[in-house]
Amino acid sequence: MDLLQGTLDMLVLKTLLLGPLHGYGIAKAIHTNSSETLDIEFGSLYPALKRLDLKGWIAAKWETSEHNRRAKFYRLTPAGRKQLQAEHSKWTGFVSAVGQIMGPLPEGGK
Amino acid sequence: MWLRRIKYLLPSHRRSEESDMQAELQSLAAIAEPGELGNITRAAEEARAAWGWTWLEQLWRDLQYAFRTLRNNPGFTTTAVLSLALGIGANTAIFSLIDALMLRQLPVRNPQELVQLKFRDPRGARPAEDSFSYDIAKALADQHGIFSGVCGFSGAGFDVGPRGSVSHVEGAWVTGDCYQTLGLSPALGRLLDRTDDRPGAPPAAVISYRYWQSQFAANPAAIGQSIALNSFPVTIVGVSPRGFGGASVGSVADITVAVAALPRLVPAFAAFLTPGNFWLRILARPREGVSISQTKAHLAAVWPQIAERVVSPEWPADRRKEMADSTFDLTPGGTGYSYLREQFGRPLLVLMAVAGLVLLIACANVASLLLARATARQREISVRLAIGAGRGRIVRQLLTESTLLSAIGAALGIWLSWLGSRFLVDTLSGGQSPVTVDLTPNWHVLAFACAVALANGILFGLAPAFQTTLIGRSGMLRQDTRTTHSHSRLLSSLVSAQVALSLLLLVGAGLFVRTLENLLRLDPGFQREGVLVVDLDGQREGYKDARLTAFYSDLLDRARRVPGVASASISSHTPLSGWTWTEAVAPKGQPVPQGDNAVFIAAGPNYFATLRTPLMAGREFDDRDRGSPNVAIVNQAFAASHFPGRSALGQYVTATVTKPPSDLQIVGVVKDSIGESLRTAPRPTVYVSYFQRASGTDSLEIRAAGSISQIAAAIHKELQPSFPKTPIDVRPLTAQVEQTLVEERLMAKLAGGFGGLGLMLASVGLYGLLAYSVVRRTKEIGVRMALGAQRGAVVWMVARRALALVIAGIAAGLPLAWLLSRKVQSMLFGLTATDAGVMAAAVVSLMGAGLVAAYVPARRAARVDPMTALRHE
Repeated sequence: MDLLQGTLDMLVLKTLLLGPLHGYGIAKAIHTNSSETLDIEFGSLYPALKRLDLKGWIAAKWETSEHNRRAKFYRLTPAGRKQLQAEHSKWTGFVSAVGQIMGPLPEGGK
Repeated sequence: MWLRRIKYLLPSHRRSEESDMQAELQSLAAIAEPGELGNITRAAEEARAAWGWTWLEQLWRDLQYAFRTLRNNPGFTTTAVLSLALGIGANTAIFSLIDALMLRQLPVRNPQELVQLKFRDPRGARPAEDSFSYDIAKALADQHGIFSGVCGFSGAGFDVGPRGSVSHVEGAWVTGDCYQTLGLSPALGRLLDRTDDRPGAPPAAVISYRYWQSQFAANPAAIGQSIALNSFPVTIVGVSPRGFGGASVGSVADITVAVAALPRLVPAFAAFLTPGNFWLRILARPREGVSISQTKAHLAAVWPQIAERVVSPEWPADRRKEMADSTFDLTPGGTGYSYLREQFGRPLLVLMAVAGLVLLIACANVASLLLARATARQREISVRLAIGAGRGRIVRQLLTESTLLSAIGAALGIWLSWLGSRFLVDTLSGGQSPVTVDLTPNWHVLAFACAVALANGILFGLAPAFQTTLIGRSGMLRQDTRTTHSHSRLLSSLVSAQVALSLLLLVGAGLFVRTLENLLRLDPGFQREGVLVVDLDGQREGYKDARLTAFYSDLLDRARRVPGVASASISSHTPLSGWTWTEAVAPKGQPVPQGDNAVFIAAGPNYFATLRTPLMAGREFDDRDRGSPNVAIVNQAFAASHFPGRSALGQYVTATVTKPPSDLQIVGVVKDSIGESLRTAPRPTVYVSYFQRASGTDSLEIRAAGSISQIAAAIHKELQPSFPKTPIDVRPLTAQVEQTLVEERLMAKLAGGFGGLGLMLASVGLYGLLAYSVVRRTKEIGVRMALGAQRGAVVWMVARRALALVIAGIAAGLPLAWLLSRKVQSMLFGLTATDAGVMAAAVVSLMGAGLVAAYVPARRAARVDPMTALRHE
């Protein structure tokens, strides 16, 4: 399933709200949490992480994982939290607006 | 966030980020299942893009690559850079002069508000007059309802210093409101104001910042000092602001004095202050918020009353009426005034156009070089496209290369222009007065050069870049013959265009060079070689009337006795000095006309012998002609117009040389000789005996029998002691004649130089094309030779192509030349703009240049060894 333009950043921020994760972990978390509907390509996720890092919404740090492997873990910064709130309310507004137009599909509709 | 991004400009920071990223990606690859992460290299590449400086990195890499390729092709690079440098240099040099003379605003407050006043006679018969009398300037300055300030000014020259060590300094006369009108404040002391411009006010001078620095070592004590101007003590009251050298562009006024002081400083010109003398230019600042048309309307309303007061009461009624009915023109005055604009404005614009043509040829050269090279690089580019380089990326890289080429060319060109514009100013300074302009490259000029270079780089890089990348798109790695053909068609038309443009340049060169030759060869009616001229101003030394005449008579005798002097004479005017004296004259018994109808010259004994003006009948003036009866000598033009069909000798004319007019008996007729300008035919002229009509500012003419410079030195040594207050100048008459040819010399030199340059550039272009095509056709030539073609036939094949290109260019250029050369007809002399000889010479030299350019490639073609050629590829 393709992503809407600009939603990837929001998904990453939301995923990191639950706790720090490394790059591959983020991809997997989005995949699992969307009941395996969203399959984020690492090739797009990774540059997005760099962008978010540059904007100061997430921060990265080298840590050791549960399997005793070193990896770079990303976590949400206070600025990122604020950004997530803004994007969240924008998103719900967008969803309800689209929902109003679409409504339930009428019976017998083709 | 910006701060973070800027941090990425640091190479060290980028390197550490890069290694961190690589480590991260490796660690993730270890965690993830194999292949799950996809193309990691691409992910890294796009992550780098997030840093935001990829374009800069690419540009840097492109630049490095461009530098390398340019360095590896020294022949190509040198030709292209030199072509561009010459083209850009020529344009920038001429532009910087145009900028300095015509475009640059004066360094004053709000220069765009200033207007220059001009005077238009009611019938509009004459061009608008830009000179005004002192009284008019003062009366206009009193119109406070119209102008917030009116500045009348004129150039001046002062002999500065104590007796015995005087030097000449350029200066200006200004009216009282001048500095206030321009809105200037002094660098030191005070500037002149109305109190200085009143009769009897103590003479005060303002010096320029530059003069203060050079002559007073920027010492503040200069204020209050007295300096001798024309041996009259004047107090320095202030220093004008830095960079300001007066309102006259082209000369720097180092010493400025109020007009009211003129009668005391230059008694001979005291009459300048009378209502009949028009000599001040006027810059005015209209009142704030008043439009130009309103100002004009106000001026028109008040002018008749002003005219009543300021027009000379001595003038005849019709002339007074004409003055009162005249109207004012207001033209933008922010760029000041310059006589150079009238004299050189048109030549400079013509030269700008000519330099533009040179640049076009240079650009065509570079374009064809780039095109030829693009063809040679076809393979490289095809390979790069095939392995996945974006087309835009390659076009960008090629453009970087051509822009870099232009930039190097421009840098060199700016340096060349700096030399060239100095040479231009030197040429202009050969005229009547030296030209001083500030040619420090300013942002106007630099922006001009950069714009030209950039436009050039993009324009002429674009076509080859697109053409080359087009081929790659079809995915062909092999040579594509079709596009190569379209390449060589484009190349040939570029070369023919160059030939056409250089034909224009050569025709221009021929026209201006022939004009100068015609003027130099013209028989002016006197022989200028070997004659020295000394201007005398005895009034400055305190001589008057009879004592002045006696003083001059003595000088003449002493000059005659100097060894090596063949003959000497004295006269009121010398040929081509820029001054003329006119009077009204008619044969005795006929009414003397209202207006002046003849040129008058007061000449001493031996005047015609000294100048070698042939005497056609009668005699020269001699010592008999010191008292009455009054005698005259006329030129042939005068004799022919007033005494047609009969001898003028012995006849009487009545002339306004005295009041009332007196009768003069004609004792001689001389050949017509040039007086005002080499370009205009001599006017009817009457010579009167010098010692019956001495004027005041006169000149000695001395014919030297030996080395002219030695005799000049001897004359100077002999006469200078008699002039303790003024330095005298002994100069050859040839120099005086040369001075009037500055414009022609400028045009001939530059048009000639540009013509040669154009020819050279076009030849290089042609050579490049032929050499390239011989290399490309090596195989074909080999086959032909193997099949029995003679070497001569091969040579002819190359020469034929050269001639075909040149002829195509000439065919395109001739009609253009025929149309465009008419635009300069008014600047020519002694030939028409479509002179067949000039056109033919241009055509022949182009053909010759074409054959010369073909020589080396043709020889190379003839040397092709069939065996080697067939093994080629």
